[in-house]
Amino acid sequence: MQDRPTSIELLEAAADFVDRELVPTIEGARQFQARVVANVMRIVAREIAMEDPLVRSEVKALARLLQHDAPHLHSLDDLRKAAASMGEELTAKVRAGDADEGDWRREVLAVVRQSVEDKLRIANPRYLESDIAIRKSKTEN
Amino acid sequence: MPKLELSEMLARLTAFIRSEGQFDAVAIENFRKMPGGASREIWSFDCAMERRGETTRRAMVLRRDPGAHNISTNRLHEFMVIRAAFEERVPVPEVFWVSEDPAVLASAFFIMERVDGETLARRLLRDDAYSRAREVMPAQLAEILAKIHRIDPVKHKLDFLAEPGESAAMTEVKRYEENFRRLALEPHPAFELAFRWLVKRVPKTPRKTLVHGDYRIGNVIFGPEGVRSILDWELAHLGDPMEDVGWMCVRAWRFGNDQKAVGGLGTREDFFRAYEKASGAPVDPEAARFWEVFGNLRWGIITISQARTHIDGFVKSVELASIGRRTAETELELLNLIE
Repeated sequence: MQDRPTSIELLEAAADFVDRELVPTIEGARQFQARVVANVMRIVAREIAMEDPLVRSEVKALARLLQHDAPHLHSLDDLRKAAASMGEELTAKVRAGDADEGDWRREVLAVVRQSVEDKLRIANPRYLESDIAIRKSKTEN
Repeated sequence: MPKLELSEMLARLTAFIRSEGQFDAVAIENFRKMPGGASREIWSFDCAMERRGETTRRAMVLRRDPGAHNISTNRLHEFMVIRAAFEERVPVPEVFWVSEDPAVLASAFFIMERVDGETLARRLLRDDAYSRAREVMPAQLAEILAKIHRIDPVKHKLDFLAEPGESAAMTEVKRYEENFRRLALEPHPAFELAFRWLVKRVPKTPRKTLVHGDYRIGNVIFGPEGVRSILDWELAHLGDPMEDVGWMCVRAWRFGNDQKAVGGLGTREDFFRAYEKASGAPVDPEAARFWEVFGNLRWGIITISQARTHIDGFVKSVELASIGRRTAETELELLNLIE
């Protein structure tokens, strides 16, 4: 058991320093790199906060799509491995043409979209939000 | 990479220009390495050249291969393509001399005119200074592209350019699929779906032309008045001209300005119309869409490749590393396009 601040609090403190104190004092390529550093720290903070529930639901969705029994996994590492191996299995089916058309294609697209959106929730939530807004405005028009 | 002391590099460069240009004397000032240029080193300098008592001054740029690893393109070929473009009045920097002799500067390089201006797309899209440029650039880019596609490879002796074979589209798809299979570390079902979508929609190519190969806002030098120069010709090849049109529409070059598909500056419809008017060749929207999907997939595979450059230790860089987490952006766009 570690003491506070939590890993997330530490990363956010470091990212805030880079963004607010360091970035305004440097220019050009180094300033750009510093922004990247702050962004990377915020990605890691979001991953620590959200990876477990996201990979759990991804494993569940992939198992349903591939008609496997839902695996009872606890450790994050086992969940990651299950997601990767079912991802390989799905990939092989797509390459074989199983998802070229029909109902299963629709199911595959929904599951794949969910996985991709979950990656963006960690890597770039603003990109995801703006994409959802654009799609919404398109369906309304 | 072969290291050269700065003073030694400067001395050899001066001697090279003097002999290539048959000058009586050459003086180089303000010689410095420019930031950026992930794939090539860029050096900037001012050159005074004297012949029979007359002195000419030019602002110049040296573009040099970095070390020995992962060099897949050729400086001499790039030099010849830019020269052909210059002769056909495409706005490009004037190119002066090229050398592949490692005895000169340790690796291949060429020297061209330094064109002043801005290259940062974010400035173009956001700064007040470029409001006029934003208005005129979509049509300018379409007209310039039509000019590039009219360059005759035979007339300019560009016979080294790879022949695309029976289907330019299939050749490109296969090439990037090979890269993807070699480089990807995780399953990417969105990319697999995109590959399936593409092979079923390979366009029947009515035209085969010179293709720039990396025609996007980031490779344009611009000023408040609009386009000044088109850069980065190292991926030029023969193929379907619609490849450049589709690449221009890739989402990553919009920097969030998503209502305008072409570099965040203009709509596809206006861009296609301007291209048709300038080239006299119709744009098949289906073919353009094929190449837009391919372009997003290609950029996605490039993000994987850039992350691998870091992961494998060729170049350790937080920027390259972080690009690995941008792959999902291209996956989402692909799903939007193929659903």
